[in-house]
Amino acid sequence: MTELLKVTVDGREVEVPRGTGLVETADAAGIEIPVFCYEPRLGPPVGACRMCLVEIEGLPKLQAACTLTAQDGMVIKTAATSAKAAEGQNATLEFILVNHPLDCPVCDKGGECPLQDLTFRYGPGATRMTFPKVTFDKPIPISPLIALDRERCILCYRCTRFSQDVAEDGQLVARNRGNHSMITTFGEDPYRAPFSGNVVELCPVGALTSTQYRFEARPWEIQQIPTVCGLCPVGCNTSVTTRDGKAKRVLSRNHPEIDGGWLCDKGRYTLPHLAATDRIREPLRRLQRVGLEPISWDDALDEAEKLLRGAEGRIVTALSGSETIEQAYALGRLLRGGLGAHSAVLPESTSSALDAFRLPLSGIAAAEIVVVVGDDEVVDRAPIVDLWLRKAQRNGTEVISYGPSSEAGSAMAALHDLTEPDSALGKRLRASDRAILIWCGPGGGGGARVAEAAHSLSFDDKPGCGAFHLPATPNGRGVAIAWAAAADEDETDPEPIGLLVVVGDDAAASPSVRALAERAEAVIAVTMFQGLAGGWADLVLPATAALERDGTLLNIEGRLQRLRRAVVPPVPDELAWIAKLAGRFDVDLSPHSSVLFEEISARCFDGATAADHATLPARTPYEAPAPAQAVATAVPPRPAEDHFLGQLRLVRYRPLFSGPQVERVAELQFQRPGAELELATADAEKRQIAAGDTVLVRSNGTSVELRARINRKLAAGVVRVPDEHAADLHPTVEVVKP
Amino acid sequence: MATPEVVFAHTDGGAVTDIAQYEATGGFSALEKSRAMAPDEVIEELNASQLRGRGGAFFPTGRKWSFVPKPEQIAKPHYLVVNADESEPGTFKDREIMLRVPFRFLEGCLIAAYAIQSKHVFIYIRGEYEQEFEVLRDALAAMHKKKVLGGVTIVLHRGAGAYICGEETALLESLEGRRGQPRTKPPFPAIAGLYAAPTAVNNVESITTATSVMEMGGVEYAKLGVPNSTGTRVFSLSGNVVNGGNYELPHGFPLKDLIYEVGGGIANGRKLKAVIPGGSSTVILTPAEVEKATLDFDSLTSLGTAIGSAAVIAIDDRCCMVQLGIRVSQFYEHESCGKCTPCRVGTHWLTQILQKIEDGRAAQSDLDLLLDVCDRILGKCLCPLGDSDAIAVASYVDKFRDEFQAHIDNGGCPLGGSSSLEAVLAPVAMHHAAHEVAHA
Amino acid sequence: MTALFERIQEIRRRYPDELSAVMPALQAAQVEHGGWLPREAFREVADALDLTPAYCLSIASFYDMFRLEPVGETVVEVCTNISCGLAGAQGVVEAFERELGLHAGETSADGKFSLRAVECLGGCGWATIVAVNNRHRLRVSAADVPALAAELRGEVSNGDA
Ligand SMILES: Cc1cc2nc3c(=O)[nH]c(=O)nc-3n(C[C@H](O)[C@H](O)[C@H](O)COP(=O)(O)O)c2cc1C
Ligand code: SF4
Ligand code: FES
Repeated sequence: MTELLKVTVDGREVEVPRGTGLVETADAAGIEIPVFCYEPRLGPPVGACRMCLVEIEGLPKLQAACTLTAQDGMVIKTAATSAKAAEGQNATLEFILVNHPLDCPVCDKGGECPLQDLTFRYGPGATRMTFPKVTFDKPIPISPLIALDRERCILCYRCTRFSQDVAEDGQLVARNRGNHSMITTFGEDPYRAPFSGNVVELCPVGALTSTQYRFEARPWEIQQIPTVCGLCPVGCNTSVTTRDGKAKRVLSRNHPEIDGGWLCDKGRYTLPHLAATDRIREPLRRLQRVGLEPISWDDALDEAEKLLRGAEGRIVTALSGSETIEQAYALGRLLRGGLGAHSAVLPESTSSALDAFRLPLSGIAAAEIVVVVGDDEVVDRAPIVDLWLRKAQRNGTEVISYGPSSEAGSAMAALHDLTEPDSALGKRLRASDRAILIWCGPGGGGGARVAEAAHSLSFDDKPGCGAFHLPATPNGRGVAIAWAAAADEDETDPEPIGLLVVVGDDAAASPSVRALAERAEAVIAVTMFQGLAGGWADLVLPATAALERDGTLLNIEGRLQRLRRAVVPPVPDELAWIAKLAGRFDVDLSPHSSVLFEEISARCFDGATAADHATLPARTPYEAPAPAQAVATAVPPRPAEDHFLGQLRLVRYRPLFSGPQVERVAELQFQRPGAELELATADAEKRQIAAGDTVLVRSNGTSVELRARINRKLAAGVVRVPDEHAADLHPTVEVVKP
Repeated sequence: MATPEVVFAHTDGGAVTDIAQYEATGGFSALEKSRAMAPDEVIEELNASQLRGRGGAFFPTGRKWSFVPKPEQIAKPHYLVVNADESEPGTFKDREIMLRVPFRFLEGCLIAAYAIQSKHVFIYIRGEYEQEFEVLRDALAAMHKKKVLGGVTIVLHRGAGAYICGEETALLESLEGRRGQPRTKPPFPAIAGLYAAPTAVNNVESITTATSVMEMGGVEYAKLGVPNSTGTRVFSLSGNVVNGGNYELPHGFPLKDLIYEVGGGIANGRKLKAVIPGGSSTVILTPAEVEKATLDFDSLTSLGTAIGSAAVIAIDDRCCMVQLGIRVSQFYEHESCGKCTPCRVGTHWLTQILQKIEDGRAAQSDLDLLLDVCDRILGKCLCPLGDSDAIAVASYVDKFRDEFQAHIDNGGCPLGGSSSLEAVLAPVAMHHAAHEVAHA
Repeated sequence: MTALFERIQEIRRRYPDELSAVMPALQAAQVEHGGWLPREAFREVADALDLTPAYCLSIASFYDMFRLEPVGETVVEVCTNISCGLAGAQGVVEAFERELGLHAGETSADGKFSLRAVECLGGCGWATIVAVNNRHRLRVSAADVPALAAELRGEVSNGDA
């Protein structure tokens, strides 16, 4: 496998494994070969820009280094030692600059632009081009998020290759031929796709820029803060660019096992929610008839203490699943330890049984077979996993989905069928050394059912086999573990509820939490946004956003990741006031996340330290989960068509672009699905519904008007509606033309 | 002179589009003979014939087929892809082959497919060849009826107007449903071609000749022509000659005889000024060189040019060489796929400098710049298209330098508007005016 | 399902990989839409092949024979490459410009004619080549154009469609 080859680069000898590209080979010798189009993450090299020309002994012509791999005994001369190679690179740069405006002083990329750097190092001194350059309209928006300046484009095709070959969204393309080639979307259609922002990072010049970041900062004024994204359970590694303590943009900080260097647009572009107009910056108290009025922090803590004491332990806590482990633990110590309030509404969690089948997400790309089960689209729950699955498919992995798009009955039934001794697919999974099961949707015991299936398919002893659960919240499992670690007592359901403590925006926006509040005598809400606080909370404490916190998150793989405060929040950190409040109930609690983590870690994470973060813990033996978890919301069985004539199973889903943060970012609105209903071709034909028709969706007593969209991949008998447009519809609906 | 017809044998100058007529003159016997042999024996026969590719690169056809791995080595479907995209200026031989001997051509496809153990043939035919497409379609239907296909499917795939799709890897991209932009090699098509499977790509004439080789036997075929360039070739003769057209002649035929005897000499009693011997991408020849040249690989290579696609363009003394350069460069600029930088930008730049010289706006340094830009394109592109422009243009300057110099010295064209290429209009780049998609 | 949709499904089955069907599908759509590809055509082809309209546009715009703007009922294309050029192609173009009252690259206001100069049509020995709706006329000289134009206008019929 790791046969080593001897290669000489500019007189320096290096040894590299067979298959190593020449750019990497030179790198191993400490020599840089400049590139523009080359980007291994985009797939095989294309050799388009010709920046990487080198001389190879024995070959008469210059070669594009990016397209070749090392051979034993190869002698490579780069521009440093070969006049011919230097001339070649100089020629390429001259050609590139023929059409490039060189407007570096006003370009966002200026100061961090490979073209600018290489022009300084290898470029021709003066231009010999005396003809008008190709001109285009100044930056045009290709979406509300991205601007394209065609004059600056050097046609390296990185962006279109990303769109076509990585995200496979087919939205950003090159049109025309030759010197008239240009990057475009389809006419006025925006580049609407979950991963569009990656093209901005890929563009080696300032042709594709982020509308949010335009003119916001210059490279020498900024700082990069390494952290992780706290918006979904993947936890992509990010780097936040800040200027004067304010966050300006989010970039990928390539973790090859987790995100492969990509980010979804939710993670990249929700930043402006930090400065939302309805962001709460002071505690608020409800006054009869006046509504919410600001109060001081001292008053707020007094008020909180009063409400907590007044409830006499009849307290229910609703958590969002976006809290850090430390926050959940601190709240648990305060509420459970200090007040005996053990009752909580916890977000959907992930079963610990899955730890027996742990695998880095990158393992998906190496799999032989992947089976995805569940009603939701992967991209809505854990977007990066969608990219891993696409990569896997390009690598030849067979990806099989049992969701609303499959004919195989309910997700749970499909999963169960796999474990039957005579299941053909089950047999193949059992025989494979690289098989993966993924649960993507509600129910399923938070992955407990896939863990059971993986166990019965004998995945336990096969390190290449794995199982994942894609939960609905970023840190549901971490929160559940931390809450459980805070006390040992069992929970009892208080009746009536004296006080409901609502933590986080997702909980505050949840209809079921709202329903609970109706039964509570008082409500404390910890939230970022006025819009989520009004009308129900008696006391509102301002929350911070993930990017403003220090702490730890537990991701989809069971990996602890360090969330680092990238910006100073406009409000005190939660841990600070929780600690203060805890003191009033004789609970000794540190306000420092590192101290809190040490405490939790000793109990829950085998004493893992901050230094261990980001490495994937070893597998633990499989333990059958407690059956109690199994009763979790079961997916209603698909109605057999002939039995319920005309009735369809409604799958409601939370689109990736939804939720309180996304709602507050104007530029992201175009990414949100409209008031649409997806239905299968057969169901549409039966009802004579055409794409774009307005249809009436009815279930007992409720009806909603939606626009029809025909999804040829959807199984007959199923319709999908975004949660935010599904109102109170029941799981079985009728769809008719009004 | 006795010129043996191999490609156009048994046609009496006409077309054989009736399958019965084709069979009556021994049609499909070569296929039958081949199928009675082992595939490797067929390849051996080709090797013995020393047939070399007629598409331009002159690569030995038997060798190319032998590079295709055996099915046991790569367990993927194997493909034969026939390059019928003929678009090199001056070249129009494949068209006549498809029109006049469609069955010999299709028989060749089946022989080649058999040799490389392929069951799938794709014929990529240039989109502008509508009549040729129809002839092939009908011929295929007739063969289907006669059941001579032997389980091989032949799909006719029509191009849509892009010269670059004649380059074999661009052709494969186009056939796969992508923009017709060349791929980097390696991997070579023989290993990873169409759908990343083993593929042989051959020109129409090569394939058609293969039928004759199997008919005659390789050794017999090799007796035609000259060493290193065996057999006959269909030469496309055009330009300022009396009788333009395709002529099948043995390799080694004197160039001047093609022009003056076969072609009837220079039209309207004019004088020959230059000859482009192998399609627009080849180095131009002066009348003195024409005297020496024979139409074969060695002779033309020794004159610093190439046999290319065997398209001979005769140019009389009315033509301005700068204008010729402009028109050639405009063609390559128009046809550049836009993938690699030197070709995309360089061809455009060359046209601009040439136009400046023609208009009399050029300084002495522009002539140096012209040659320097040629140099900077040469050997740096992803495929040979950019090189073609640079080679052709540089050769015009090289051999007609005085005329270029006169443009600079006189502040304009010394022919004063009388050139045959005066103001000839090049196509406006398609679609480029339409910045956005027009709304219906 | 529309006829075009069905036709494209049929084309699709010809190829081991259905992406190969995009070019023939666009060709079929172009015929369906009267010789060019309006925005709608891209949506139809994309839908029939599970591609995006943007992808179909990137393909169509690469090739000269796909038209992104309306064309005349009769498209007259004159090769002006080297061999035809040497034989007087420019004269042929100009004669058509006079006869049809159009500049090369234009379509007449009544939608009857489009005139274009094009690259080598592969008939160099029989210059000048003129393609009329893709059917090649050989050895056309400037002097032939008035009669040819009259024929195309339907004024003279010589039975050649
Ligand atoms: C820009 C370019 C255009 C080409 N056009 C054609 C063509 O129209 N027809 C052709 O047969 N070969 C053409 N070729 C050559 C092909 O790449 C390839 O060598 C040939 O089809 C191989 O067939 P052969 O070995 O039978 O000659 C072209 C090459 C280049 C670089
Ligand atoms: S926009 Fe940027 S990434 Fe895209 S082709 Fe142009 S230079 Fe490359
Ligand atoms: S980096 Fe090698 S050709 Fe672009």
